Amino acid sequence: MKTEDLIEALARTPEAATPDRLYRRLALALIVGLVLGLILIRVFMGFRPDIGVAAPMVAMKAGFSALIATFAGGLALRLAKPTAGATGTLRRLVTPLGLVILSAIAIGLITLMATEPGHRFAAFTGGGFPWCIILIPFCGLPTALLLVWAMREAAPTRLALAGAAIGALSGGVGAMVYAMFCSVDSVSFVTIWYVMGIGLAAAIGAMVGARLLRW
Amino acid sequence: MLSGGSILTPDETQLHAWMLGAQAGDPVATHRLLDGLAPRLRAFFRSKGARPEDAEDLVQETLIAIYTKRAMFDPDQKLLAWTYAIARYRMIDRWRRTGKRGLDLPIEDFEHALSAEETEAGDPSRDIARLLGDLPPKQRTSIELVKLKELSIAEASAQTGWSASDIKISIHRGLKTLMRLVGTSATGDIS
Repeated sequence: MKTEDLIEALARTPEAATPDRLYRRLALALIVGLVLGLILIRVFMGFRPDIGVAAPMVAMKAGFSALIATFAGGLALRLAKPTAGATGTLRRLVTPLGLVILSAIAIGLITLMATEPGHRFAAFTGGGFPWCIILIPFCGLPTALLLVWAMREAAPTRLALAGAAIGALSGGVGAMVYAMFCSVDSVSFVTIWYVMGIGLAAAIGAMVGARLLRW
Repeated sequence: MLSGGSILTPDETQLHAWMLGAQAGDPVATHRLLDGLAPRLRAFFRSKGARPEDAEDLVQETLIAIYTKRAMFDPDQKLLAWTYAIARYRMIDRWRRTGKRGLDLPIEDFEHALSAEETEAGDPSRDIARLLGDLPPKQRTSIELVKLKELSIAEASAQTGWSASDIKISIHRGLKTLMRLVGTSATGDIS
C-alpha cells in the first residue's frame, strides 16, 4: 500500500479522541485492583485479629503505602505519554518518587538507631523473615495486571521504566492491602521492608515491561 | 531534530492546529496532519540511516501510530517533539522485531523476521491488504468496508448488521493489530 493511500484510509472516518479512555481505565484498574487485593489477603491470610484496636497503626501503614503509590502513579501517568523519553525530563520525573523513598529509608534507619540495641534486630526484621517483601508484590498483582490493560490505551516509549512505575504503583496498592494483615508496627520495619517490597514489584515491572507494554 | 527545510511546507503551528482537529474527529484536518508529517518522517528515518524501503515502512507504521494514539497528544505540547518521540519508538521497536542490534528473539520469530525482510526488498510498498488477512474477520470486514471501500459507518452497519459502535470499535482494534502486524511481531527487550 502506498503511503498516500494509507493516509487516505486513516483519515476517512476519524472519531474524536481524548485521553479520557486511558484515565477511566487507570481509575478502574486501581479501584478493582485494590478490592481484588483485599479479597486475596482476606481469603488467603485473613486480616490481623486486632485490626479494630490497631486501626491507627493500620491506617498509618496504609497511608504510607498510599503516599508511595501516589508518587509512583504520577510517574506512570507521565510515562504513558510518548515524550517522557528525554534524559532531562526523566530525571525530573523520577526525582519526587526517589526523594520519598530515600526519606522513608532514612526515617527507618534513624528510628532503628534510636532503638535500644537489644531490640534492634527484632524491630528491623519484625521477628522473622520479612515476608512482606514477597507478599506486597503478590497483593499488588491484580492491580498490576489491570494497569497493563489500562496502559494499552497509552503510548509509552520507555517501556522498562513505564513497567517499573506501574510495578511501583501496584506495589504501593499491594502494600496498602498488606497493611490489613501485617502485625509488625515498628517504624523501621515498615519504612524499610515495605519499600523493599514495593521496590521488588518495581523491579519485576521493569523486567516484564518491555514485553507487556509493547504497542 | 530536523531543521525546517523548504520542502517541509506546513510549519509546527499549522500541524499542531491540524492535530487538534484530528483529535476532534475532523477528517480533513487528519488528512492534512498525516500528509504534512509524512515527508518529515521520511527525512527523519533516512537521516537515521534506514534504507529507503525500510524508511517507507517506518513512515507508515508511525503514521498509523500517530493516528491511533492521537489521544495521547497533550494540546500544550510541541507536536513535532511528540511525533519524533513516536517515530523513534517505532524505529527501536523495528530493530527489535527484525533482530538488528543482536537482541534475543525466539528462533522462529527470527526466521520469520528474516523472510519478511526478504520480501520487503522485492516489494518496498508493503501490501497492507495481505496483512488485513491476518485480522479477525470482524475487524477485517469493518476496516475493508469503511476505510478501503469508503462506506460510512452507518452504511457498513446496515450492510453487516453490526451496530455502529461495534464497527467503530472493530476498526479501532483492527488498526492497532495492523500496526503490530506491519513488520513481524515478536517480543524482545528494550531499555
